[in-house]
Amino acid sequence: MGKIRVEGLKKSFGSNEVLKGIDLQVQPGEVVCVIGPSGSGKSTLLRCMNRLEDITAGSVVVDDVDINAKDTDINKVRENIGMVFQHFNLFPHFNVLRNIAFAPTELGKLDEAAARQTALRLLERVGLSDKADAYPAQLSGGQKQRVAIARALAMNPDIMLFDEPTSALDPEMVGEVLGVMKSLASEGMTMMVVTHEMGFAREVADRVIFMDGGYIVEEGPPEELFGRPRQERTISFLEKVL
Amino acid sequence: MRTIRALGLAWLLLILTVTGAAGWTGTASASEPAAGKVYQIGTDVTFAPFEFQDASGKFVGIDMDLMEAIARDQGFRYEIKPLGFNAAVQALESGQVDGVIAGMSITDERKLKFDFSEPYFDSGVIMAVRENDSQTRTYEDLRGKKVAVKTGTEGYRYAESIAGEYGFTIVPFDDSAQMYDDVKGGNSVACFDDFPVIAYGIQQGNGLQLTDEEKVAGASYGFAVRKGQNAELLRMFNDGLANLKNSGEHARIQEAYLGEGAQQASGGGWNLITESLPYLLEGLGKTLLYTIVSLFFAFLLGLLFAFMKVGGSRFLRGVATVYVDVFRGIPLIVLAFFIYFGIPQAFGFTMPLFLAAILTLSLNAGAYVTEIIRGGIQSIDRGQMEAARSLGLPYGKAMRKIILPQAIRVMVPSFINQMVITLKDTSILSVIGLVELTQSGKIIIARTFESFTIWTTVMVLYLIVIIALTKLAERMERKVRHG
Repeated sequence: MGKIRVEGLKKSFGSNEVLKGIDLQVQPGEVVCVIGPSGSGKSTLLRCMNRLEDITAGSVVVDDVDINAKDTDINKVRENIGMVFQHFNLFPHFNVLRNIAFAPTELGKLDEAAARQTALRLLERVGLSDKADAYPAQLSGGQKQRVAIARALAMNPDIMLFDEPTSALDPEMVGEVLGVMKSLASEGMTMMVVTHEMGFAREVADRVIFMDGGYIVEEGPPEELFGRPRQERTISFLEKVL
Repeated sequence: MRTIRALGLAWLLLILTVTGAAGWTGTASASEPAAGKVYQIGTDVTFAPFEFQDASGKFVGIDMDLMEAIARDQGFRYEIKPLGFNAAVQALESGQVDGVIAGMSITDERKLKFDFSEPYFDSGVIMAVRENDSQTRTYEDLRGKKVAVKTGTEGYRYAESIAGEYGFTIVPFDDSAQMYDDVKGGNSVACFDDFPVIAYGIQQGNGLQLTDEEKVAGASYGFAVRKGQNAELLRMFNDGLANLKNSGEHARIQEAYLGEGAQQASGGGWNLITESLPYLLEGLGKTLLYTIVSLFFAFLLGLLFAFMKVGGSRFLRGVATVYVDVFRGIPLIVLAFFIYFGIPQAFGFTMPLFLAAILTLSLNAGAYVTEIIRGGIQSIDRGQMEAARSLGLPYGKAMRKIILPQAIRVMVPSFINQMVITLKDTSILSVIGLVELTQSGKIIIARTFESFTIWTTVMVLYLIVIIALTKLAERMERKVRHG
């Protein structure tokens, strides 16, 4: 599984309404990239997908579970939704291995040995086998973000959320992170990616969503949205970034 | 829910410790298992020759010997509470003690609140000046000068009554030794005190001398109980006193302290230090004990209120904010007075001294610890909590395993700082009679008048302990930092 259905989603911070009514579906295995100018609400939308933000109105249903319902165990829901942050948010007091193995062992998903095996396998996958014992402070930005991806994958989620995963990276490190994400996408992971990497969106996304001012302005397959944008705002945004 | 449970747990712990400690003091202080009532008798700590501690730390003096003889004669049991004069009087008012014997003058004003025994000593007020002061011989010489007095004494009342006439200013102190030191130091030119007290002080070499002014007949000393209460105790005191006067023992007791053959206190210098050290170290032990116990509770309080502060409930946040604002805003000395004297008077129960002391320190330090922990937690990037929660970790687990281990590193220096502050703050509790290091020093000075030697020793002891603890804490801090 790994299906998201958003209906009539509104989110306000105080009197500031950031999301003004979002309807959206993500199918299992689909890769959706969300683009748009800063302040358009795309990060907030992503953070509503695992209830890092409580919503003001509407509903977010993940695999048939209304995640904002009173009797929903949000921790269980989150186990199935990995998240990668712009600023990595690795645990600085754990080494790389422990960063990855921590959640599965702590939540009783894997025993110590199995979690270690999983962590080493994931590290190999993101190309950091030699960094198992390093601490986050000893890693470059690109390495940190790859560890963060491995950490999220350790819970074996069906859905991965990426919140501008390359925005805090030096340009030469963007590629290594996008490479890992690309391979994830090709393996059928359901992914929602907030990004400024138009090249990545064009190449990897099944669907691109353009947001502005708290609304979804336009969405479609990348070749359509990038090739034949219909909305004025989409056109002017793409002119600026491409 | 979680916070409420934590709140309950903290209270339970507090109550358990309090009751446990109550049992402990009970066995430590009562001389025999309780068969009859053990009267709590408040007294001064610094009023030689009526009450003071000898070199071995035992309370002696005319009042003490008299009390002992009367109790023996009448067959009742009592326990001496050396609180300091003002504290003893307040303790009697609030029912914290059953009686006070502290060279207390029988005055009309006091008779409104207390019932007095028959007088057991006829005092009188006299003026004293610095030993080598040949200028100040009469009241006339006091014009435009400062005069030291002790609050609540006959000397104070007398000095006040003639201050206008002779044009001097009154400087009040809490105990005789401080008053004498002010005169010796030259800030005040003279002091007024009860004749036997000054006479004893001069005899012990306190550095003062009498002047041409004669002693003025003053009030007599009496034993006091709270008005309308402990009539039985008062009756026994009067009966015993009458018996002692008849047998001549009353006169013998006075002679032992005021007569020619009265014992000299030890000299100054190294002898005094080595002689006082065991007593001071005992005080230091109390200081450490109270510091550790108070910090333990302060830590629990801090943990509780800090989590209320960073938590989601607006109500609990408000409660925690009020707690911090209130206890950070009240001066420690006022809080101590309020808890030890104010609360028992209002609610009519006896507050054990150790409980008042620990409550005062814990509540005060708890407010600061709350802020230390809150600050530590909030100094950790929000992304850490978000990352942990996004993995499916519950709030408590994320807090314990991810946030707190990082926050503690931030908090450690502030904790060390708070430990040093609380350790020093225990000295403030000497005002309610807690015999910790500072009070121990005061008590020795009351007997020996050696301010410089004793305060130097006390300072050095504080410094040694604080520097040692700081070094130890720094070593631990390095360990925490480097895993």
